[in-house]
Amino acid sequence: MELGRLEYLQALVTEFQVTDSPEAKEQVLANLANFAYDPKNYEYLRQLQVLDLFLDTLTEDNETLVEFAIGGLCNLCLDKINKDYILEANGVEPIINCLSSSNEETVMSAVTTLMYLTTPQSRQQTTALPVVECMLRFSLSASRRLSNLATVFLEDYCTPLQVEEARNLSKHTAVGIPLPKD
Amino acid sequence: MAAGGSSSTGGGGLGDACKHHAQLGVCESRAKYREGRRPRAVKVGPAWAFRGPGPVNTLLLFFFPQVYTINLESRYLLIQGVPALGVMKELVEQFALYGAIEEYHALDEYPAEQFTEVYLIKFQKLQCARVAKKKMDERSFFGSLLHVCYAPEFETVQETREKLQDRRKYIAKATNQRDCFVLKKVEGPEKTVSKNSDCPWSTPGSCTTGNWDTSCFTSSHRVSQNTGYPSGNHNQSLLTLPQYDDNCAENSEYSGQSTSLTLNVQPGRCTPPTPLIQQRIVPIDNGIDRFMPRTTHLQERKRKREEGNKFSLIGTSADYTEVIIGPQLPEIPKVDMDDDSLNASATLIRNKLKEVWILKVLIFSFSNIYMMCLLSIKIETLR
Repeated sequence: MELGRLEYLQALVTEFQVTDSPEAKEQVLANLANFAYDPKNYEYLRQLQVLDLFLDTLTEDNETLVEFAIGGLCNLCLDKINKDYILEANGVEPIINCLSSSNEETVMSAVTTLMYLTTPQSRQQTTALPVVECMLRFSLSASRRLSNLATVFLEDYCTPLQVEEARNLSKHTAVGIPLPKD
Repeated sequence: MAAGGSSSTGGGGLGDACKHHAQLGVCESRAKYREGRRPRAVKVGPAWAFRGPGPVNTLLLFFFPQVYTINLESRYLLIQGVPALGVMKELVEQFALYGAIEEYHALDEYPAEQFTEVYLIKFQKLQCARVAKKKMDERSFFGSLLHVCYAPEFETVQETREKLQDRRKYIAKATNQRDCFVLKKVEGPEKTVSKNSDCPWSTPGSCTTGNWDTSCFTSSHRVSQNTGYPSGNHNQSLLTLPQYDDNCAENSEYSGQSTSLTLNVQPGRCTPPTPLIQQRIVPIDNGIDRFMPRTTHLQERKRKREEGNKFSLIGTSADYTEVIIGPQLPEIPKVDMDDDSLNASATLIRNKLKEVWILKVLIFSFSNIYMMCLLSIKIETLR
């Protein structure tokens, strides 16, 4: 890598902003999201406002972009500063919306991100009733990865009372957020 | 979108091929500054290329990037493209170079290319699986290119939980929560873990808001209490976390030549000095069973597995020395006499009968031999 880390990431962000090619946008976003896996990059990513970039991309129509953006958030949201930033920026809501995606990877990342964003303050939001209800259905999914994840969410992040409440609610309503396609 | 032949049901059952195991094509459209040292799909992370169970050439048509998250990683590695030459021992030895293996077996039902097999290897540590995957993927093995990928769909709920928890601990260490963690470590991690263990999200009333500081609950999170680690091991797992990026393989010595196949690891390093293979003992391969057709192999393996299971049911350890030859004596049906002393004497009588029975058999066979001898002598004399 000829450029320094910050310059390199800056170049990626710039390319993401200026390019018209959806393919290039996806590649760059994937790159950024993968950089977000390594805590060494957190400081740079914050400087370049990549967290906002990820959060903004969550509302895009392009499913792939959403998948990469939530993947990036999932990778960096454990850091306390990043976590606080996302919570401050009202990031929980668009993340919850990702639960209704038909893309399994998007849903998986969203579930994990919600777990990692849970604090005493954010708890009410991250484990809201519709979320718990959603997790109940995910825990019955044929995909073992998803059902495992949802089970962990229900067992470790929700109170038995919450689960019970959601269970009662889902008894009465047949409609819900559909399961991801694959 | 999934590679040719892979099932579309996203890895529900164990035998299913997962979408995320499909090989990604080499990305050709990236800008100059984003070019890596070797051609690869856009994926900065532990894995680059995924190959599904289809013919390879059709898979290179796909060009799409992938983002790596903790959800895609696993201690389970799926190894595709292993030539069906009965080289399981060699394969496991290769992978054991990168860390202790907890479990391994062939996935006979998993869709595989012709003349190849698919194996599942479970490492003790995610970091070792990570290194093994990096080193072994696309490596030539007995003339075939291996394709190694993570297989999180084989995880149990508890293993998924531990994986997420380990990532939490790692980030806590790697970022600004380091100080808190070091402090706890000095105190003795085991103690703090159990002390704060009842401070989860689920019972917000039981702990004060002060305790909810992220830096604290990451280090003393209650999930650690029920991780599968043995208590002695737990300590070590906390201590080894800062070396997250360390190469497991470099810390381990491998003694692949011994038949017992154990990993010798220096204490305090990546892997505890446990037997490498805990579940299965590899039979010593003298090369006789190689080059068998795949179906014969599968049958043979199934038979061996069933045999192994039988012994484990009986409770015989794998290193048993006693060998039973010939049919066992018929069991005398046991009758419960509804009384301890009566039962005891019944067993006594039963055992006595057994001895007598054996004696009878022995005498009978000896008398037979004796008769044979007499006969042959007689024949000799008649001549």
